[in-house]
Amino acid sequence: MSGRMHPKTVSSQDRIKGFEPYVSNLDERMALYEAARCLMCYDPPCKSACPTGINIPEFIYRIKTGNHYGSAKVIRESNVFGGECGYVCPVERLCESKCVRNNLNEEPVAISLLQRFAYEKEKPKGLVKFKCAPSNKKKVAIIGAGPASLSAAYELARMGYGVTVCDSNPRPGGLMIYGILPWKAAWSVAESEIDYIKSYGVKVVTKKKITDVKALLKDYDAVFIGTGTTESSRMGIPGEELPGVYLAQDFLFSVAKYLKGEGKAPNLKGKRVAVIGGGDTAIDAACTSVRLGADRVYVVYRRSLTEMPAVPYGKMQAKEEGVEFLLLTSPVRIKGDKKVTSLVCVKMELGAPDESGRRSVKPIKGSEFLLDVDAVIVAVGQRPEEDVLRSFGVKVDKGLIVVNDNFATSIKGVYAGGDAVNGGETVVEAVAEGKKAAAAIDKHLRGGK
Amino acid sequence: MVSKPDITVKFCKLELENPFLLSSAPPTCTGEMIMRAFEEGWAGAVTKTIKPDKTPVYDLDNRFGIMGFEDKQMILFENIEEVTKRPVGTWVKEIKEVKKKFPDKILIGSLMAEPKEEDWEELARTISEAGVDMLELNLGCPHGMPERGMGAFCGQRPDLIDRLTRAAKRTSSVPVMVKLTPNVTDIALMAQSAEKAGADAISAINTVLGLIGINIDTFEPMPTVDGKSTFGGMSGPGVKPIGQRCVAQIAQATNIPVSGIGGVTTWRDAVEYLLVGANNVQVCTAVMWRGYRIVADMIDGLTNYLSDRGFSSVKDIAGKTLPKLTAWGKLNKDYEVVATINKDLCIKCGLCYVACRDGGYQAIKFEQGKAAEVDEEKCDACALCTLICPVPNCTTWKRVKK
Ligand SMILES: Cc1cc2nc3c(=O)[nH]c(=O)nc-3n(C[C@H](O)[C@H](O)[C@H](O)COP(=O)(O)OP(=O)(O)OC[C@H]3O[C@@H](n4cnc5c(N)ncnc54)[C@H](O)[C@@H]3O)c2cc1C
Ligand SMILES: Cc1cc2nc3c(=O)[nH]c(=O)nc-3n(C[C@H](O)[C@H](O)[C@H](O)COP(=O)(O)O)c2cc1C
Ligand code: SF4
Repeated sequence: MSGRMHPKTVSSQDRIKGFEPYVSNLDERMALYEAARCLMCYDPPCKSACPTGINIPEFIYRIKTGNHYGSAKVIRESNVFGGECGYVCPVERLCESKCVRNNLNEEPVAISLLQRFAYEKEKPKGLVKFKCAPSNKKKVAIIGAGPASLSAAYELARMGYGVTVCDSNPRPGGLMIYGILPWKAAWSVAESEIDYIKSYGVKVVTKKKITDVKALLKDYDAVFIGTGTTESSRMGIPGEELPGVYLAQDFLFSVAKYLKGEGKAPNLKGKRVAVIGGGDTAIDAACTSVRLGADRVYVVYRRSLTEMPAVPYGKMQAKEEGVEFLLLTSPVRIKGDKKVTSLVCVKMELGAPDESGRRSVKPIKGSEFLLDVDAVIVAVGQRPEEDVLRSFGVKVDKGLIVVNDNFATSIKGVYAGGDAVNGGETVVEAVAEGKKAAAAIDKHLRGGK
Repeated sequence: MVSKPDITVKFCKLELENPFLLSSAPPTCTGEMIMRAFEEGWAGAVTKTIKPDKTPVYDLDNRFGIMGFEDKQMILFENIEEVTKRPVGTWVKEIKEVKKKFPDKILIGSLMAEPKEEDWEELARTISEAGVDMLELNLGCPHGMPERGMGAFCGQRPDLIDRLTRAAKRTSSVPVMVKLTPNVTDIALMAQSAEKAGADAISAINTVLGLIGINIDTFEPMPTVDGKSTFGGMSGPGVKPIGQRCVAQIAQATNIPVSGIGGVTTWRDAVEYLLVGANNVQVCTAVMWRGYRIVADMIDGLTNYLSDRGFSSVKDIAGKTLPKLTAWGKLNKDYEVVATINKDLCIKCGLCYVACRDGGYQAIKFEQGKAAEVDEEKCDACALCTLICPVPNCTTWKRVKK
């Protein structure tokens, strides 16, 4: 029995010249070997760790028997964005972290690589179609066209509802299309699944911002809100308004648009960039800066590497691409006259863990130092747009939409899910929430509670 | 858009919802087990072999063994287990329960008795009247039972096959299938005896007699029962070539349907059996290893296989390979090819070189770091290099003129 398969990756020097995916897919032989590593566990922990509950051993077994289309069907049965998720899921903290091979002191089965393999085999034949209930004449409006919304739309369309999805962006897909850059997943993957969802009769209206939910309820029987977290948080330190300071999400949005030929990217050629934050968004912003030709890129994070929430894979990628980590470092103020010239930072020290187990930090007196930079990217969190939530009229707590176990908001017939509710998780979590909300909407409209 | 082919089959007038049955073995030891299997999608099941209450049966502790590769990738399974100890009355009750809950699934009663016609008549009457759709006569078990004149003892004697089949046919109210042992010189002859005696179908194969391994530290043969062992019945992936050969021979020699058994693990194995003339397949070891759940992929995989190739029904592939199976003497001696090695794909491991040098015709040139090359003059096209090459499609055939 061989160990885990590691397909070829493009060297860091070469891959930073562009934005293309840099990890190859498994070829047939590798996929077969890797599939053979799955033990086909009973009541598998990997499946329980998947928010959409994909029957992982079954789809892997089908790769092993050569029933590739059947494999794809198993994935799609549970997750309408199964292809996209194969590329973007942080599997290190989801399914693969629970694989029983870890208990044998081995690397886990490469679940996400096998999932990509199944998708790539499915695509040329046409994504697996499922049966739909006949139209029930009821209509549901969906605000936002990210993965949470599209997943809800798909489920509802299959149950016979007439579904209309509105998004303010020029294209549907939310952060899958305007946030996650194509070195993780070629946009064509999510696009193929969005087209697939449309093929079930879901109507998608773009460039349309919705603010009035009550008005929608006049024409529709129910509403789902999946508006995500479109606003970046600020640090609240002096100098944040200077030219040269970017909010991570706006920054990535503009790069995504630039790559689609829809606008210009920030000019970072030869510049020194400090990215502030320690999440996946900070890592993505850093790796994007490298690809835009920045000379030096720093990630400034107040705790140590072990506390950093970004997935280990992302941190490794950033390191390989030359990103420098300034750990236990916190920004104090941004200096500059007409534009950013430097960042004043202070060194931090770790204290005792708080009740959540996260260690507290406090500045070390007199440790301030100056970091010369030409640009600062603030990646300290995202949140929903406050004004929009207010105009929706739904109950909000800590800036997020409040829902019950059924993803119902405080307004009858109005449901919500995804980042706007959970504060910013993952594509797969958004898909799972959209799916659960759709089931609840169906129950509500059938006269359940 | 992908079409949905029909995978139902007709077997002795019975309608099978798919060609996948459980064979007579541990997975069909009780009605409760059979019902769970039906819920997972199996089209039918053959009960664990039932014998007259007066015939004693013993369960040995530690009666299984395997041969496999690293990481428990099992190739062969061996057992020295006998038939079921459960009384006929219990089975009659459970057969009724199963058929009541699953009237559309196919339940087949497997029978074994000493070679006394009255015993077979009695058992066939009782079990067929309990409500099974068909009977299967176990004339194949190669261990334990033959020492007492049962199982393969009968299946190795055409006269007994004839007498016992006729006995069961006399009293059975349902079709009768005869399950044969591969541990004979000519299985076609055995199948013809059954056909002549009025059998409605043949199933093959039961397990293959073997000795799965020896513990070289204790000198004990396996599976070891308190220090000793006996020759056992092998099943699982490794016996598929034997099962397939037997099924093809039976299909060529008789005009009754064959239920193919032996090493069926995935839908691909099933397709192969169907291609050589099996009407359906039965599965035991693969289910013991991974559970009833494997049938989901068998059904889906077969369906996709047919649809990919434009077949609208599984009946369209029945026996498709049989006309291509012929006598050695009829194979084309003028067909000439030579091996070619793709320079760009070759990973320069030298495996084909050493195989050809020491086990072939010294027809491959190789130097460390350089792609291997075939000397077409010397190549005898035996196929060893193509089989040993670890790279898919690297070594292929080129047609040459004689
Ligand atoms: C840089 C970055 C990298 C990420 N990388 C990964 C990753 O690798 N893997 C992963 O699983 N997750 C990743 N995520 C997280 C993931 O993208 C989100 O969790 C997921 O997209 C949330 O889905 P959603 O449907 O809730 O919202 P979004 O995807 O944010 O979609 C919301 C949509 O609603 C629209 N909208 C908002 N308000 C309105 C309105 N009033 N009217 C109409 N439309 C509106 C927006 O335009 C947007 O299209 C990343 C996020 C970021 C920012
Ligand atoms: C443990 C074990 C017990 C078996 N018991 C019976 C039996 O009682 N009656 C019978 O006809 N065949 C019996 N068989 C044989 C199987 O039904 C089947 O013919 C054989 O195992 C080959 O199929 P497989 O490779 O799918 O296992 C048994 C096989 C095994 C492994
Ligand atoms: S836990 Fe690992 S080995 Fe077990 S089923 Fe999941 S992927 Fe396979």
